[in-house]
Amino acid sequence: MPLLQHVCQIFYDSRIGTAIRESDYAFSIIESVHVLGITLLFGTIALLDLRMLGLVLRPIPITRIARALFPLTWSGFAVMFASGFLLFWAEAAKNYSNPAFRAKLILLALVGINPLIFHTTIYRRVHEWETLAIAPWRARTAAIASLTLWSGVIIAGRAIAYF
Amino acid sequence: MSPLLWFTTLAHSGLGHLMQNSKWGFAIVETFHLLALALLGGVVLIVDLRLLGIILKRESARVISRDLSRILLGSLVVMILSGIGLLSEEALKCYYSPAFRWKMALLAAAVAFYFTLHRRALLKTDTGTPTLWSRATAVISLTLWLGVGVAGRAIGLL
Repeated sequence: MPLLQHVCQIFYDSRIGTAIRESDYAFSIIESVHVLGITLLFGTIALLDLRMLGLVLRPIPITRIARALFPLTWSGFAVMFASGFLLFWAEAAKNYSNPAFRAKLILLALVGINPLIFHTTIYRRVHEWETLAIAPWRARTAAIASLTLWSGVIIAGRAIAYF
Repeated sequence: MSPLLWFTTLAHSGLGHLMQNSKWGFAIVETFHLLALALLGGVVLIVDLRLLGIILKRESARVISRDLSRILLGSLVVMILSGIGLLSEEALKCYYSPAFRWKMALLAAAVAFYFTLHRRALLKTDTGTPTLWSRATAVISLTLWLGVGVAGRAIGLL
């Protein structure tokens, strides 16, 4: 058995994993929290992306929006990660071979690389362009990549239940 | 026509048959419903936190409201259209589901509130500090929208 599959099986067989899986409501409740977290995480990220594309809130400098949304986005991330991990815990052995789950992990890795590139390049000079109605093309590219990848994460996440 | 007849008609419509018989139909439409939910939720949250005076305090609530309401409206259209698609798959189950009835009532209340009292509070606040009334408006709005989401989730569970 591959190591990762073995680890997944250990999670799956553990007392907590089994308790979540076998409880009448636990999984559904955690799942609902996970979905609400999407609003915090994706909703706030999408609005910043839409601002960079010049579609909303043009009169407000980008850094002010970024600063206001930053804590919300990170709380969303914390909620998503914690609830997502509990869902994985309960279903780990099934998730291991689930193509949608694998696609989601790859997309999550990509969606993490995107802001790394963005923040180490064009965002370093944000003070030169933060008041522009439409951000420079490199920032717009990052915004489109972010919107596409996060949508992909949601689509793949939803699909896990159908495989 | 009674509501029951509308639901039966929807269940027997071409859309209903398509959704009931397609393997991926429900999943795909549900995904759109979810994507629009994420955006709508984000808008509601930001507008209401502004109204509470927690974020973007120096920015005009009027500008935030105008711009974000367009996104909210767009998301709402996607949610209603995809929602009709989802409904057509299990129209009669929804008709008798208390969670569905709650969801529709809360949705109507949330939308009506958003475009009337809530809008007025945003315009009145503009760049000033929010009054107690506008803060209450934000709390009511958040509660109503959260209620729509919770009731919606409950349709699949009850």
